[in-house]
Amino acid sequence: MRALLALVALVAALSFLSPAFLTAANLAILLKHVAINAIMAVGMTFVILSGGIDLSVGSIAGLAGMVAGGLIDRGLMLPMFGVVVYFQVWLVVVIAVLAGALVGAINGLLVARLSVAPFIATLGTMYAARGAALLLSGGATFPSLTGEAGLRNTGFPWLGSGTILGIAIPIWLMIVFALAGAFLAARTVFGRHVYAVGGNQRAALLSGVRVKRIQLLVYVISGFCSAAVGLIIASQLGAAHPATGQSFELNAIAAVVLGGTSLMGGRGTIGGTIIGALVIGALADGLVLLGVSEFWQIVIKGAVIVMAVVLDQLQRRVQWQPTAQS
Amino acid sequence: MAANGTILGACALAALLAGCGPRQPSNPGQKTIAIVTPSHDNPFFKAEADSAAARARELGYRVLVNTHDDDAHKQDELFDMAIANHAAAIILDNAGADASIAAVRKARAAGIPSFLIDREINLSGVAIAQIVSNNYQGATLGAQEFVGLMGEKGSYVELVGRESDTNAGIRSQAYHDVLDKYPGLKLAVRQSANWSQTEAFQKMETIIQANRDIKGVIAGNDTMALGASAALKASGLAKVTVVGFDGSPDALAAVRAGAIQATVLQPAARIAMAAVEQAHRYLTTGATGAPEKQSVNCELVTAKNADQFGMFARR
Repeated sequence: MRALLALVALVAALSFLSPAFLTAANLAILLKHVAINAIMAVGMTFVILSGGIDLSVGSIAGLAGMVAGGLIDRGLMLPMFGVVVYFQVWLVVVIAVLAGALVGAINGLLVARLSVAPFIATLGTMYAARGAALLLSGGATFPSLTGEAGLRNTGFPWLGSGTILGIAIPIWLMIVFALAGAFLAARTVFGRHVYAVGGNQRAALLSGVRVKRIQLLVYVISGFCSAAVGLIIASQLGAAHPATGQSFELNAIAAVVLGGTSLMGGRGTIGGTIIGALVIGALADGLVLLGVSEFWQIVIKGAVIVMAVVLDQLQRRVQWQPTAQS
Repeated sequence: MAANGTILGACALAALLAGCGPRQPSNPGQKTIAIVTPSHDNPFFKAEADSAAARARELGYRVLVNTHDDDAHKQDELFDMAIANHAAAIILDNAGADASIAAVRKARAAGIPSFLIDREINLSGVAIAQIVSNNYQGATLGAQEFVGLMGEKGSYVELVGRESDTNAGIRSQAYHDVLDKYPGLKLAVRQSANWSQTEAFQKMETIIQANRDIKGVIAGNDTMALGASAALKASGLAKVTVVGFDGSPDALAAVRAGAIQATVLQPAARIAMAAVEQAHRYLTTGATGAPEKQSVNCELVTAKNADQFGMFARR
């Protein structure tokens, strides 16, 4: 709950300092920016709850954006038939998201089947997926993702720039991912098993949890979420750049930890993660509104993350003292 | 066991590399030119490396292309490799004006001349040539066009590149040396977007919230200009003037489409080729015939002349 306190304090302070902060228009923009990190952090929460870590999320976002960008801008070249195939946008989205889930599945197999430490496995796929994204275009940007009516592949920009009931699509997606994630974590057998694996893997195994399957699935979920983020960014910019998503993994991990999830696994909530992402997003946008220098922005962001976690430790110690047994 | 695994892995990797490396005919008398630039995920550096490599092959050299990803340490390792491979010359777009001096000096001591392109180092007499585009002159052109497009009045936003980068500072200085002379032009916000399209998009969206009356955006490079342009379009402010810098192919297309109004083209391809030619002259005659520090002028690109330009060069 410290994250909620931090959020309230932050919003109060920023509203006081900048009259433009607490306006409907700015909050709409803020939520749109938060959505990027929040959706990625939902997937990351499952991985961390299970006792793992996923460093490849930013690269997966970049790769998914490039897959979609390539399919829309250049089409799929089939050399054996000498034709170029263009897919409709919904199919492009499905293929790109599947590509992300596939990288997630590779992470999962490395961790669950080959017992590679999650940090190392996902470090490897972080590099490999980034390289794959660069290879897709030879390092270039796919500059035009609007599609052509003649090829029946228009409509991609809607994902990042469209609205439903006046609210931007990325915000709706964040809501859907958050609700689905919270339901999955708190109300399903799968969710309970994720907590069990992260809390005590051996105990979970002995009580009949299919640990390897759970480990595989959490990385697939993370890959899926990251790919969605990559699509949103490519859609918003109307361009796919292979370096997109660099260092996003750290923002996602920061949101998860700020939200109260233990890096050791087994403890935490999706709701907390969303609040963590809101804190980071409000801080980033607020400092831009105030015109704070880039260098100070980085210092302040780091300080807030550390302070929030320190406060949590203090609070936990105070709460635990009466019941000395834990 | 771990050692066995490492050996196995190394063998597998060697087999993989043997299969995918570009094969070059080995010619014993042939000299090598090493080309070292920042990451090719930026088309500017790719164009630079490609042009230098093409010109070097035409002149009969074997070519070794590598990227240092703006990491001075990695650049140093690449220099060690070039020295070990007895490269005849190094073409370098360096990873830092001060941090690169030691590497260039080390190559010089090993008898390998370095020819610097795009970015200078803060010491003369170490490299044989330092050929850069005139960032100050180019940014002045961009700023003058911006003044005209704005009609000499209104409030504007400046997006600065990575603040630790020399060129970000030079361009910003040139912008202000022009813009600050016009009392009607008001700087509403100055923010760094670290050369990044995504970051420029998000920061621009936020900046618009507090400054809905802005009439123009002047950016330190094209990717930031394109990010800002997308944000302005999404907010229904498509009429805001946007000016970039670099003349990347994406920006040229955006200028033609009217998404941004102007950019400044750096003749990166021409500079890279000139560096290779001077290296060739130096290796064959012992002198380049040109001063160490050379600066090449940039060109303004607007909707009127955008069709005359291609990959960082006039067509």
